[in-house]
Amino acid sequence: MTGYFVRRFLLIIPTFIGITLLVFAITRVVPGGPIERLMTQVQLGGETGSLHRSQGGGTLSDEQMEELKRYYGFDKPMLSSYVIWLKKVLQFDLGLSTRYQDPVWQIIKERFPISIFYGLSTLVLTYAVCIPLGLAKGMYHGSTLDSWSSAVVFLGYALPSYVIGIALISLFAGYWDMFPLGGFISDNYDEFSAWGKAKDIFSHAVLPLIAYLAGSFAVTTLMMKNSLMDNLSADYMRTAAAKGLSRSESVRKHALRNSLIPVATSFGSNISLLLGGSFLIETIFNIDGIGLLGYEAIIERDYPIVMGILVISSLLYLLGNILSDICVALVDPRIRFGGGHGA
Amino acid sequence: MNVFKNPVAKKRWQRFRQSRRGYYSAWILLVLTLCSFGAEMFANNRAILVVHHGQWHFPIYGDVLSGKDFGLDYSYEVNYRELKAGLIEDPNSWILMPPIPFSPLETDLIAGDFPPHAPSVDTRHYLGTDTSGRDVAARLIYGFRTAIIFSLLLLFFNYSVGVAIGCMMGFWGGAFDLFFQRIIEIWSNIPFLYVIMIVASVITPGFWTLLFIMAFFGWTSMTWYMRTATYKEVARDYVMAARALGASGPRIVFRHILPNSVSTLVTFVPFSVASGITSLTALDYLGFGLPPPVSSWGELLKQGTENLEALWLVGSVVSAMTVILMLVAYIGEAIRDAYDPRKFSFYE
Repeated sequence: MTGYFVRRFLLIIPTFIGITLLVFAITRVVPGGPIERLMTQVQLGGETGSLHRSQGGGTLSDEQMEELKRYYGFDKPMLSSYVIWLKKVLQFDLGLSTRYQDPVWQIIKERFPISIFYGLSTLVLTYAVCIPLGLAKGMYHGSTLDSWSSAVVFLGYALPSYVIGIALISLFAGYWDMFPLGGFISDNYDEFSAWGKAKDIFSHAVLPLIAYLAGSFAVTTLMMKNSLMDNLSADYMRTAAAKGLSRSESVRKHALRNSLIPVATSFGSNISLLLGGSFLIETIFNIDGIGLLGYEAIIERDYPIVMGILVISSLLYLLGNILSDICVALVDPRIRFGGGHGA
Repeated sequence: MNVFKNPVAKKRWQRFRQSRRGYYSAWILLVLTLCSFGAEMFANNRAILVVHHGQWHFPIYGDVLSGKDFGLDYSYEVNYRELKAGLIEDPNSWILMPPIPFSPLETDLIAGDFPPHAPSVDTRHYLGTDTSGRDVAARLIYGFRTAIIFSLLLLFFNYSVGVAIGCMMGFWGGAFDLFFQRIIEIWSNIPFLYVIMIVASVITPGFWTLLFIMAFFGWTSMTWYMRTATYKEVARDYVMAARALGASGPRIVFRHILPNSVSTLVTFVPFSVASGITSLTALDYLGFGLPPPVSSWGELLKQGTENLEALWLVGSVVSAMTVILMLVAYIGEAIRDAYDPRKFSFYE
């Protein structure tokens, strides 16, 4: 078992290299790379104003262009510049942002608190709402509560969370003016009292949190309900009923634990959300987290940041997957990884 | 085809028909999709039928008719909306316009008002116009056509590649299997939307390029599923029996393994369609999707969030998406029930 997880951890290395190499290659090899694109846009007088931030008008001389290429590392062949980049990453140096001229790691680090705030709240709320709800739905299958909550769950299941986010912001912030139009805090945040600050953060957080929740809410609730119902018809529940346990007692002592196993598998994928956020929701609500940073970096062709976020999000995702498996192994002693046959 | 005749498939089809909600959703979605292929008949600035002095014209699918053909004083294409207003007095002529008499690319500016114009029956913009004065209802219909065709094609590519490679992985095993396992491991760990955004930002894709990019990153889940399914089937006795009878590899794969493993793929189809539509809309919303002026739901959503006072923009797209995705989800639920009828019971 330990050997299996050690192997899984070691496999992160080739997978990580594969992902970053692929994206690195895309940003380099594709015709009309960033430099060429920047050049043509400079020559066209920057007609797509917001797409880039070229300060100088007119054309650049060949000499300047060479300098630019050297600066961005475009003068070397793709593979050797990738190796240089990878070496830097191993020393925790993600390079300088081309837009801000600050270290990428520092820029990303500044956004962490916001993304963690939303990630953690979503995680806690998801489990706090979904597990009891799924439990109630499973135990009272076909009841009024079950059918009414099913309608809501189904809506959240069918619609992607960004559509829900857009609907929420246009109704509650745009039309009824009940909540602010996005952002994390108000501009005059510093003037508020402690209570006012908390209220400010809360009023900004309501809509995005609902949108975040909508995504995981339906899946987790249904998963909880289905796995509970599978367990309710299991043989050991018949035994429990036969020896005289009441229904709620048998559920609490036997079925609940076993039904939590599939929910535990989803835990790992939530880890990457914890730090990375969703750039769709962050873009919609203009929340200054990692997701919005990544989106802006792509638009501004700030490749050091793009690659930096890719490094962090893919590492989190890889670790999250392994964490899921560890969780499953912890809660379910029947599962043995690594042994047996196949892959 | 024995696939449709076998009793298991028949039973599944019956169970699918029995879940009324899913069955009717399937019909509604099918009708909507077929209608959207004839979107020109529903939203167009050309007339469906013009009867002019005993002559019948079908301008949508026929030749371009100029104003002179109808005795007007200009030789560019005739404006059918004005033509209709002018022909009212003429008893020998009449004109049948589509229900929404605007094309999705046509800007219709109303004097004394800035676009986006609010919905109104008088101007015949039943869902209003967008920020450049294009009819929302027309763009919604054409956007649906783009989205559904896109996601069906994406599904086709993903599933073909998935079935082909997954089947080979499961059947051959060995080095081929190991190699693709690593590739799939890398591919499935790529942050899908993020990487597509990066690629799309570099090459500004069209319809087919975008389809190719999405398929390039999206084929892995089907491959993985097919690999497992093939693995299971290969280990079964009937495959051994076929081998013992001297059947060749291709014969075993095509006659025995594929018919047994492919049928379950149907259960994934609704989810793939839904995810195709949502990811295309998300990309369009973020500005990395289809280039303008293609009608797309994502582009309308973007305009809507930039002009929150024009509630009809967001409202119509969100309603349309809700309807379509709910239909797809109902179908998916019904198919899953048909394949795996769950009988719930508990002990008290």
